[in-house]
Amino acid sequence: MAEENVTRRNALKVLGATLGAGAFARALAPLAEITQFTNLREFMQKHYRELNSDEMREVLHRLEQDTEHRYGCEVTIRDIRPQRHTQFAYALNLSVCIGCRRCVEACHQENNHDRTTHQSYIRVLEMEQGSMDMERGNTNYDHDVPAPGHFYMPVQCQQCENPPCVSVCPVEATWQETDGIVVVDYNWCIGCRYCEAACPYHARRFNWRRPEIPADEINPNQSYLSNRIRPQGVVEKCHFCLHRTREGRLPACLEACPTGARVFGNVLDADSEIRWVLENKRVFVLKEELGTRPRFFYFFDR
Amino acid sequence: MTDANHTTHHARTYPRFLWYVLGRATDGSWLFYTWMFVLTAIALVGANAWAHQVVRGMAATGMSDHVSWGLYISNFTFLVGLAAGGVMMVIPAYLYGDHDMHDVVIIGELLAIAAITMALMFVVGDLGRPDRFWHLIPGIGRLHWPVSMLTWDVVVLNGYLLINLHVCGYIIYQRWLGRRPNPRWYLPFVFLSIVWAFSIHTVTAFLYSGLGGRPFWNSALLAPRFLASAFVTGPAFIVLTLQIVARVTTFRIPEGAIRHLLSIVRITVLINLFMVGSEVFTAFYTGGVHATAARYLFVGLHGHTELVPWIWTAIAFNTFAAIVVLSPPLCARRWLLNVALAMTFVGVWIEKGMGLITPGFVPSTLHELVPYHPSLTEWKVTAGVWAFGLMVFTVALKVGLHGMSRPITEEVA
Amino acid sequence: MSRPTTPPHSDALASRSARGAALVAAFIAALDVTACASRDADRFSASQDADGAHRLADGGVYASTLHAPRQLVSILGTTRNLQGQPVEIRCATCHDLLVPPPALPDRASSLGGPHAGLRFDHGGNACAACHDPTRFDRLRLATGETIPMTGALRLCAQCHGTQYRNYTHGSHGGMTGHWDLRSGPRVRNHCVDCHDPHTPRYPSFRPMPPPLDAPARVETRHG
Repeated sequence: MAEENVTRRNALKVLGATLGAGAFARALAPLAEITQFTNLREFMQKHYRELNSDEMREVLHRLEQDTEHRYGCEVTIRDIRPQRHTQFAYALNLSVCIGCRRCVEACHQENNHDRTTHQSYIRVLEMEQGSMDMERGNTNYDHDVPAPGHFYMPVQCQQCENPPCVSVCPVEATWQETDGIVVVDYNWCIGCRYCEAACPYHARRFNWRRPEIPADEINPNQSYLSNRIRPQGVVEKCHFCLHRTREGRLPACLEACPTGARVFGNVLDADSEIRWVLENKRVFVLKEELGTRPRFFYFFDR
Repeated sequence: MTDANHTTHHARTYPRFLWYVLGRATDGSWLFYTWMFVLTAIALVGANAWAHQVVRGMAATGMSDHVSWGLYISNFTFLVGLAAGGVMMVIPAYLYGDHDMHDVVIIGELLAIAAITMALMFVVGDLGRPDRFWHLIPGIGRLHWPVSMLTWDVVVLNGYLLINLHVCGYIIYQRWLGRRPNPRWYLPFVFLSIVWAFSIHTVTAFLYSGLGGRPFWNSALLAPRFLASAFVTGPAFIVLTLQIVARVTTFRIPEGAIRHLLSIVRITVLINLFMVGSEVFTAFYTGGVHATAARYLFVGLHGHTELVPWIWTAIAFNTFAAIVVLSPPLCARRWLLNVALAMTFVGVWIEKGMGLITPGFVPSTLHELVPYHPSLTEWKVTAGVWAFGLMVFTVALKVGLHGMSRPITEEVA
Repeated sequence: MSRPTTPPHSDALASRSARGAALVAAFIAALDVTACASRDADRFSASQDADGAHRLADGGVYASTLHAPRQLVSILGTTRNLQGQPVEIRCATCHDLLVPPPALPDRASSLGGPHAGLRFDHGGNACAACHDPTRFDRLRLATGETIPMTGALRLCAQCHGTQYRNYTHGSHGGMTGHWDLRSGPRVRNHCVDCHDPHTPRYPSFRPMPPPLDAPARVETRHG
C-alpha cells in the first residue's frame, strides 16, 4: 500500500509539474510579441565603439529598413563623427529669452520625439526676478510671455565636462565624444535608468513606450547617435543636434529662437560668437557646486 | 557510493543528491502543498504582468522621467538589506563559538540566498531592455567596472549568492552523505561572507549616496543607515521564521538563538531610529534645498502629502517595536513580540522604499513636484517576486533542515 | 524662422571680436583636447578636411547675410489677396506721386490715409529724429547724414549701441544657417524683423504649450 501511495504521489507530482510548466509558459506568452520591435541582429549587435566601418554600414542599413518597416517612412541614417579641433559650447542670454518654448517645439520635431507625450529635451523654467532658486520656478506656465517680473531659463543637457551620467552607466552605453557632446548608443543601453537618476539637470529621457510618430512628420535626416527614432526601453538626451552641428549647421533650438537668446559654436575658434560671449559676458553655470563643469552657460545682459 | 578506501565518486553521488533535493522539495503535508500552490499562483500572475511590461514598455508602471525608480528598486534595496542581515547569525556562531547559533545559522544563509534571488529578480524586472542583459557580462559585454557603482553591485550580489550557495550546498551535501563537513571547505567562505554581507549593502547605499544631483541621498549617513536597518530586518525575520519552523516541523529551535537575535535587534532598532532622527534634524534645521525633499516626505510640500502617512506609520511601527523589544515584561509575551517584529519589518520596508527612493526624486532636479503612485502592474510583479522568493526560501529550509538533521555516519579525516 | 537670403550687406556684420581672457582660457585648458594651443588660420583654411567637412575651396568663408525686412520697403494694405493675406504696398507706389512730398507730422496720431492709426511708443522721439523730412525712402543719422531706408540698422545702432554690440556678436537677434561659416552661410534677423521702429517693444504672445508631464502649479508657496 505504501508503494502505491508513493507511486500515486509521484504521479501527482509529475502532473502538477506539467501543469505548472504549462501555466508558466502561458504566463510568459506575451513575450512572443517582442519580435515586433526587436530582432536577432539587433540583439547581437556590438557596441558602437566596437563596430568597424563595414559593420557600421550594415547596422545603419538595417536600422533604415527597420524604420521603414515599422514607421512607414524612408529615412537616411548616417554615422557622423566629431570634427577635429572642435569643442562645442552653448550660451543662453537670460535677458533676451522670452519663454516662448519655440526651442522646445523645434527639438520635438527635429529629433523625432514621441507625439503622444510631446517629448522634448528642453524644459523652460519661468523664474522670478531676483531669484535663481528653481524651487520658485515653474515649468507649467501657460500665459502670454514674457510676463512682467519673471525671466525664462531653458534647461537641457549641459554636456558636462565631468558628467555623472557617464560614470554611473553600468554598460558604457553613454560617453563623451571628443567634441564635448555626451552621446548614447541606443542599441546598447539596457534601460536601467541609473543615468537618469544621476543627472542633476533633468536632461535624460526614457522611452517608457515605443515612440509614435506619423510617417509624414518624421524628419528623415537622421544619424545613429542623435535623432534616429529610438527603440522602446532606452534612455536618450540632447545631443546638441550633432547631425547638424558636426556639419557646421546651427542646432534646431537655436534656429527656432526668435529673439536670438541662444549662442552656439566652437569655443576653440577665437573669433566665434560663443568665445566672445564667454569672454565678455558674466556667464555662470547651473549647480556649479556639484563639480559637473557644464559647457552650457547662462548670462544676463545687465 | 564509497569504496573500501573511503573515496567518494561525486560524479555519481551528486546527481543522486540533486534527486534527493527535488524529492524533499516536493514532499510535504497538505499545508505545504497549499502554501506552495498559492505562492505559485501569485508568482505566475507576477510573471505575466512582467511579460506585458516588457512588450508594452515601462509605461505600464507608474514611473515617469521625474520619478524614474519606484517600487522595484525600493524592494531591491530592502532585500539586499535582508540578505545582509542574515549574516548577523554567522558572526556569533563562528566568531564567538555560540553553539546555539551554530545549529540555526544555516537558516540565515538560506535566507540570504532567497533574498538575493529576489533582489536580482527585481533589478531585472526594472530594466527597460532585459533582453540586453548580456551587455553586463564582462568579456562579452562591457561592464563599466570599477567606475559605475552599479557594476560593483552586480559583482558583489552575485558573489554573495555564490558564497552562500557554496556554503549551504556543501554543508547539506556532506550531511546527506552522512559526513561531518570539513571546515576547510566552508569556514573561509563563511568568514568571507561576513565581510561580504557588509559590502553588499554598503555598495547598494553608495549607488544613491554618490549622486551629487540628489541632495536627499547625498549623505554620508546613508550607508550606515542601510546597515542598521538591514540588521533590524534580518534578525527579526529569522526569529519569526524560527518560530514558524518550530511549529510546522519537528526541528528543535534552541531558545538561545532567539535570545541572541533579539539582543541584536534591540541595539539596531535604536540605532536605526537615532539615524532617522539625525537625518530629520539635519534636514529641517538647515533648511534650504536639502529640506524640500524631507519636507515633502514628513509634512508635505506644495499641497502634496502622498508620502506623509507612510513615513509616520513606519516611524510609529519602529518605535513601537523598539519599546516592545526593550521592555522585558512586554518582550516576554511571545505574541506581542512577534507582532512587534513583524511591524518593524514592515516599517523598515516602508522606510527604505517610500521613505528613501521616492523622496530622492521628489522634487525633481528642476524642482518639479511630480508624485509617484505604483501601478497595478508594479504591484503584481512585486507580489510575484516575493511569492517566488518565499517559495525558494521554503524549499531551501525544507531541504536544509532535513539535511542537517541526518545523522553523521562516518568521519572524514 | 528661416529668412530668405539677400545680397551681402556691407556693414560690419562679419562678427569678429577681440581676443580672449583668462576666464575662457581656464575653461579651454580644462578640455581634453590635443594640439589646441596654436591659433593658426591655416588650421581652419584646409579646403578638404580630414573630417570630411564641406569647405570652400579657397579656404574662405560663406556669407553671413542680413535679412531685409518687408517693413522697410512696404506697408500692409487693408485689401487681402486670394490667400487671405494683406496686400503689400511699396512705399514708392504712393510717395513717388506725391509732389511736393508731404511734411512730417507733429505726431503719429495726426497721420492719415494708409498710415492712419499708426501707434507710436518709442521714447520722446519726433518723426524727424529718424525720418528724412524730404525723402520718404531715406533716414537721418544723428550726424545729419542721410542713409537709405534699407540701411536702418545703422540708425538703430547709433542709439542702441549695447544691443548692437551684442547683436554683432551673436547674442541678440535670431539667425538660421551655420555656426561654422566655412561650411555654409547664415542669415541674420534685422532689428526691424522683431522690433517695429514705431513700437519697438517686443510683443507679448502666447507661448507653445507646457510639457505634458509638468506638474500643475499649486497655490501655496513656501520660501
